[in-house]
Amino acid sequence: MSATTLTDPRGADRIRHLPFWLGAVGVALAVFLALRLIGNEYGYYAGYFVLQYVVLASAWNILGGYAGYVNFGAAGFLAAGAYTAIFVRKAFGFDLIPGILCAAVVTGLLGLGTGYLTLRLRGVYFSIATLCLAVVLQTLVVNWDYVGGSRGAYVIRPMTIPPFASYGEYIFLVMLALAVITVGIARTVEVSRLGRGLQAIRDNERAAEAVGVPTLRLKLMATALCGALMGVAGAPLPYYSGYLNPDAAFSLAFAVNAIAMPLIGGAGTWAGPVIGAVLLASLQQAATVTISSALNLWIVGWILVIFVTIAPRGILGWFGKR
Amino acid sequence: MALITRRRLGQAALASAIAGAGQTPGLFPAFAQSANPLRIGYGMALSGGLAGNGRATNLAYQIWAEEVNARGGLLGRPVQLVVYDDQTNGGTVPGIYTKLLDVDKVDIVTSPYATAMIAPAMPVVMQRQVTFLTIFGAGVNESFKYDRHFNMNVVGDNMKETYAKGFFEVIDMLPSPARSIAITAVDNEFAQKAAESARHFANQRKLRIVYDRSYPPTTVDFTPTVRAIQSARPDVVFIASYPPDTNGILRAVSELRFQPQIFGGAMVGPQLAAMQAQLGPILNNLVNWDTYSPEPTMQFPGVAAFQAKYRERAPAAQTDLLGNYIPPYAYAQMQVLEAALTRIGKVDQAALAADLRANTFETIVGKVKFGPTGEWAESRNLYCQFQNITDGDLERYKKPGAKVILAPAALKSGSLRAPYGPPA
Repeated sequence: MSATTLTDPRGADRIRHLPFWLGAVGVALAVFLALRLIGNEYGYYAGYFVLQYVVLASAWNILGGYAGYVNFGAAGFLAAGAYTAIFVRKAFGFDLIPGILCAAVVTGLLGLGTGYLTLRLRGVYFSIATLCLAVVLQTLVVNWDYVGGSRGAYVIRPMTIPPFASYGEYIFLVMLALAVITVGIARTVEVSRLGRGLQAIRDNERAAEAVGVPTLRLKLMATALCGALMGVAGAPLPYYSGYLNPDAAFSLAFAVNAIAMPLIGGAGTWAGPVIGAVLLASLQQAATVTISSALNLWIVGWILVIFVTIAPRGILGWFGKR
Repeated sequence: MALITRRRLGQAALASAIAGAGQTPGLFPAFAQSANPLRIGYGMALSGGLAGNGRATNLAYQIWAEEVNARGGLLGRPVQLVVYDDQTNGGTVPGIYTKLLDVDKVDIVTSPYATAMIAPAMPVVMQRQVTFLTIFGAGVNESFKYDRHFNMNVVGDNMKETYAKGFFEVIDMLPSPARSIAITAVDNEFAQKAAESARHFANQRKLRIVYDRSYPPTTVDFTPTVRAIQSARPDVVFIASYPPDTNGILRAVSELRFQPQIFGGAMVGPQLAAMQAQLGPILNNLVNWDTYSPEPTMQFPGVAAFQAKYRERAPAAQTDLLGNYIPPYAYAQMQVLEAALTRIGKVDQAALAADLRANTFETIVGKVKFGPTGEWAESRNLYCQFQNITDGDLERYKKPGAKVILAPAALKSGSLRAPYGPPA
């Protein structure tokens, strides 16, 4: 445990929160205004693509970065969020925002349950268990006809939502807000007792337990929070694409990127996943419409190999070292 | 290289315009052409699970574009294809289509291949009221009900009541009537709809369904499935599968020496050259859904010339070597577009949709007429039987006799051989 965890500067934390939130909202507004000035719908769709990874990577970082528990089931949680949104739309007529809230609750509970069942496992055994969870969820969805099953589900969205210029602008703004909230939550966790406890678990779980850190409780909180935020990242997906099938929802790209982005940006810090997600997702989006091939994941793979070799603590760690 | 299509076609368009300068009355019209190409944009599965058919479709489009440019272009403008690889990932599609329409500002958009990639593009094109020509989608417009959607697919708009009709017509050709049927399908959109159609006709004809199960797409060992079907002793077996499982099923059937009177159905894979070469005699007497066969009854004007050109370029494009499945339809899709644009004389999305809805089009796959939902007004599901297959030689598939058409009656080119199984 680092020296900073021995103190509890709550007052200082409170002071630091306000500038962060103001700054985050300011950056979000600037991004939105810039895209509105450009006036191009493509900017919103590309922006959505990047922001969904900001949410996903930040969510992964809470358990994987702070606590050191590597979750390979990111695609499973994201898909669970997406299919929750589809389910509540079909069953109760809920639209996007209530769908996101329901997805957060369902995937949060899923995370809690998963945590309860698997957190006694450590290292690679925990990772394998999360990977299995994704497989179990995919099998469940494939056989659940009510949400489209293997055929996939259509979400017929409106063309416009007043006062927004287009549906693309609306869904981009929703994801922008989710990204700001998620990054804010991740930062709050990092500087709170929860975050410090998770960092202690990452450094040495037995030692942390010996000095009184309630490891299981903290890990359960982390898995629930991580699951809920991953579900939030996935809930708008069927509205974004208008159609979702299990192959797309449980795509390998989500699982790989959720891990690669925090590692490249710098896992264990709130800013690392943001930097990694913006960098990698922008690169992938650019690659899709320039060299235009499945080299996307190839690029991610190579960048990951390079960073693991040269800068194992990611971009932030690289600069911090200097 | 096929992946850098924009650049290559840009160069091709420029070359075409320069070449056209010598053929046109003056230099300036050609110069004007190259400055204002007619841009047709689409996303396509050039990598990922559907790349085999995606690349074949792309090659057919390229051949069409080159031919049109050699003729002086379309609406007096050289055709330029703007293509992005969707990586067989529906998540990339909305971004690609907004880029095509808002940044690249293409004149026309056509769809990716196939249903799972077409559907995510629909909201984007609908929002902009763009006419959308799609290829080999399965019932996408049932949900969207978009009046400017036109799908090039033989399946038609009422899959349940039309898709398996031909298969059951083939069953009627058996010397002694079949009494039982086994149905199995992979868990995906197309296969489940195909199986639903088979159930519909089996019930209609009072065939006893002795086995009816689905299997997940991740299944790799089909021996237990085939043994279960075999133990039910069906006279006829209807399988709806995708290429990896088709391969596994047919090999398991061959190893277990299972020889029902009719075996086949809606297996995707045997239509493709790679699988024909791999499976060889295992395909013999298989009765399977198809879209094209070089039988005398399907020798529509232009198809032979197109296939010759396609086959010449297929190895370099790393795609299906024969082009007997999707490529003629991809080319025909562009012929439809060309005819409609030529008739209306300008790029006008509403007029284009109206023209596509109103007219019948002469293409290399025959006459094409779209119905109210944008699907083919009349379905044309072929049921072909592989006959006289002794090895994996692909040359036989370029000529009549290897894939004999049994249904529909209008295109019938041979007689049923039963039971299923490789020649002794």
